[in-house]
Amino acid sequence: MYVCFHHPDEAVISPQDPVLYIGSSLTATCTLSPELGLHASTLYWTLNGISVSSSAYSVLSPDTLSITLQNLNGSQQQSGDNLVCHGADGHVLAGSCLYVGRPPEKPVNLTCWSHNTKDLSCKWSPGGLGETHIQTKYTLKYKLRWYGREKECEVYNTGKQRYSCYIPRNLALFTPYEIWVEAANQLGSATSDITTLDILDVVTTDPPANVQVSRVGDLEDQLTVRWASPPELKDILFQAKYQIRYRLEDSTEWKVVDDVGNQTSCRLAGLQPGTVYFVQVRCNPVGIYGSRKPGIWSDWSHPAAASTPSSERLQSGSCDPKPGEQNSTLRRELKQFFGWVRKHASGCSGMSIKLYDQWRVWLQKSHKTRNQILQDDNS
Amino acid sequence: MQRSRVRPHPAALCCMSFPLSLTPFMSSALTYLGPPFNEKDFSPPRPNSTALSLPSAATRLELWHGLENQARLAQNQKAYSVLLAAVRELARSTLCPALKTSLLHFCTGLDGLLGSISALMTTLGYALPPPSANMEMRPTMNDFAKKVEGFWILRELQSWLWRSAKDFNRLKKRLRG
Repeated sequence: MYVCFHHPDEAVISPQDPVLYIGSSLTATCTLSPELGLHASTLYWTLNGISVSSSAYSVLSPDTLSITLQNLNGSQQQSGDNLVCHGADGHVLAGSCLYVGRPPEKPVNLTCWSHNTKDLSCKWSPGGLGETHIQTKYTLKYKLRWYGREKECEVYNTGKQRYSCYIPRNLALFTPYEIWVEAANQLGSATSDITTLDILDVVTTDPPANVQVSRVGDLEDQLTVRWASPPELKDILFQAKYQIRYRLEDSTEWKVVDDVGNQTSCRLAGLQPGTVYFVQVRCNPVGIYGSRKPGIWSDWSHPAAASTPSSERLQSGSCDPKPGEQNSTLRRELKQFFGWVRKHASGCSGMSIKLYDQWRVWLQKSHKTRNQILQDDNS
Repeated sequence: MQRSRVRPHPAALCCMSFPLSLTPFMSSALTYLGPPFNEKDFSPPRPNSTALSLPSAATRLELWHGLENQARLAQNQKAYSVLLAAVRELARSTLCPALKTSLLHFCTGLDGLLGSISALMTTLGYALPPPSANMEMRPTMNDFAKKVEGFWILRELQSWLWRSAKDFNRLKKRLRG
């Protein structure tokens, strides 16, 4: 059977687990048990594994050694800095965890949005220098403006998005909410300014569905974009306004078409012939019930692509041998393309320029995903 | 006590091929504790708390070799019962959410392992030891002492995972033979 002894500690450090302000000083003592038969002058201190110079020590008595640490930096890890008292041979006699930080500052930039009026997501930034170095709790609170009890948001994110919270249900419309964030740690607390909002004023929705881009007959400089309004809009009785952006395949510069209104199709003009364009559409629920404010723009839809017709029957120089490098790049791409066709299109009977355009969109998307994965790995 | 002649179902032995590995979160746990805990060769004195009242994985070779199946299984069962409770408490007190999640996830694995061991003991007709009295009488420890205890729990866990792999290989051989 296992008997639990309570061994007297070999030594005791005081204070135990103190919470301190950055820049402050601390004097700690290590007091030895008499059974050890050691003298205080043989001991030494380490802070986070690094020896502290003996000039900071003071032998207070044969069994007590003190140390004075000045101008403390913020704690190196969340679990506290490790201040350890050692015997001459390196043996660990006792330890104390130091929590060095600062009180939180007023959280700022509180922003909220609702997805289809059903929920509320909020995010904020910690105020001031941001990093408090000690455990700090952020609580998002909300209440109906003219009545109602204070409620607390319960679903907080972690990691990079820990300054955000999600309220999944039971939200009232047509009455403003007051929302704020309270930050607290063992050194102090702070409250953000109150944000007042009506759910109906911060609504966002899904991007438009089924975005399709196609040629306008033989016109070389035009393309038609068509899309469907997101299905939930009907349910929540909002109308929508749309925005389109498009760019050349190889360019990073987007051109934005703003005055699309609430139609679900639009014609792009003034385009270059024989060129592939990438197009995206996004949606903004426009308020009814007298709300003047626009909502919040949705994410952009997945890119759709098409190419404008080319005026030349034969691409100039297409049969001429191109300078070495270009030739192998084009050939390599074509090889990849045929491989993709074999896999994704049923044989070569579906071969068309549209297929080629679809492939180019897929290529861009998978490049983007690969880069996204790399980015996420590095974060 | 009658020795059971029932051969354990192969599946019971199979689930003891160790899917449990500490390596994924061992280094993040030590980093969380901070230096000197994550330094090579750091070894604070082993506390004598209830969280660490488990049989030692370390044993002399001839003693280990000669262990009867029941004793071998009982030692594993006792060790992992204590370790499961200890790692759960470790998870509860961890401030870092990612590490907390990893530890809780690991507890699920440990729980499964403990279940397999108990099931095997029952199949072989061995009595399961009574569950130990809940360790509520914990003396209050300061945070550093808790870190030292956590450090040793992880160390014991590592030793036992290493040792159990060999225990179960030995069991497999003896039960088949």
